[in-house]
Amino acid sequence: MLNKREKYLQIAFNRSLPEVQAMISLLPRSDKIIIEAGTPFIKQYGTYGVSLLKNWWGYVVADLKCMDRGSREVTAMAAAGASAATCLGLAPIETINEFIRECETVGIDSMVDMMNVEFPFEILQKLKKLPTVVVLHRGVDENELNKGRQIPHEQIHRIKGTYGNVLISVAGGESTRDVVRTYFNDADIAVIWRSFYDAPNQTAQLAQDFVKLVR
Amino acid sequence: MILQKRLKYLHVALNNSLPEARQVIAQLPSSDRILIEVGTPLIKIYGTSAITQIRAMVPSGTYLVADNKCTDLAEREVAMMAQAGANAATCLGVAPIETIDRFIAACDTYKIDAMVDMMNVDSALMVLKKLKKLPAVVIIHRGVDESELSKEKQIPYYQIKQIKGSYDVLVAVAGGDTIREVQRAIFNDADIVVIWKNPEQAKSFLKEI
Repeated sequence: MLNKREKYLQIAFNRSLPEVQAMISLLPRSDKIIIEAGTPFIKQYGTYGVSLLKNWWGYVVADLKCMDRGSREVTAMAAAGASAATCLGLAPIETINEFIRECETVGIDSMVDMMNVEFPFEILQKLKKLPTVVVLHRGVDENELNKGRQIPHEQIHRIKGTYGNVLISVAGGESTRDVVRTYFNDADIAVIWRSFYDAPNQTAQLAQDFVKLVR
Repeated sequence: MILQKRLKYLHVALNNSLPEARQVIAQLPSSDRILIEVGTPLIKIYGTSAITQIRAMVPSGTYLVADNKCTDLAEREVAMMAQAGANAATCLGVAPIETIDRFIAACDTYKIDAMVDMMNVDSALMVLKKLKKLPAVVIIHRGVDESELSKEKQIPYYQIKQIKGSYDVLVAVAGGDTIREVQRAIFNDADIVVIWKNPEQAKSFLKEI
């Protein structure tokens, strides 16, 4: 489970299994680095892919983006060895509640992804119980086609001010500077993927810089 | 589009496991009006191999829907589903508009039908209005968790006529599993009725259609 006093770097993987294995071997060993089985990766390889990632690394986030059948999907991912799973903030409230409850039952961290949610507060307010992590991010498709929209950094303070117990994960920036800025804005987890997708060696360097930074 | 606009279809969703999927498929009557869906849990558990394995279980020419519920990285997902042998893929109506547009364009490229699932969308019309191009199918949907935990939530049948009155698309209805709900969907002008709980009743459902 994640420690509330630490900062983490989450690296998302979406390539083929052999490529992912090679990329992971470039990463410095650190429990501050968590890896993510990206949604396309899960849809391609299923729980088999998640269990392989688990063999290659300690903490694995299954980016399920659950929209319905909260408990069924969580059970499958936890059985495959996932340490955390994600649910969409856009899902029906019943699904998010089921998702958080089931994550607790099977002993993994719950992450609620606020992609395309205008007011994450409104969602959090309606929940029976808070998730472990709230993910603030913009979709890749949105990012490429609509560069004007920004990562809502101001929401980090608001959410943490109101719900002190929840961790915040932010996706969007890709350089060491972006990652530092994310922490500066009080986020607990910085998620990167594109640089690793495009240039694995460079990201391995970023991961090393990161480990030095948070030591 | 592969589906025909004047026909009604029964869409059977397979959600539990591949062995169970095999049993359900064996019980289904042979009909070109039955569409088979590889449900989201199957895709997340078995990956695209769920699609290729179910393709091998069904009679040749069966229309397969991959319920991938895309929310991002649309082209990547559509390519994966099409290459695995799906005839249609799904995208969430709550996804960013950029994603839905990309999803529909990618379905065109890969020559499969685009289905947009309006689960938890207040106004399907508002989403359709913003799109560059219409999908082949719009799915009106009440989720399983919603159905089981909030019994008062109704399937918004009234949206079928609203959508069909304004746009030239097929409308599928998901979330009802009794003969009465199937009748209701057809009465309200749905083109496709999605079921998952009682596939053994497929024969009588098919009669209603």
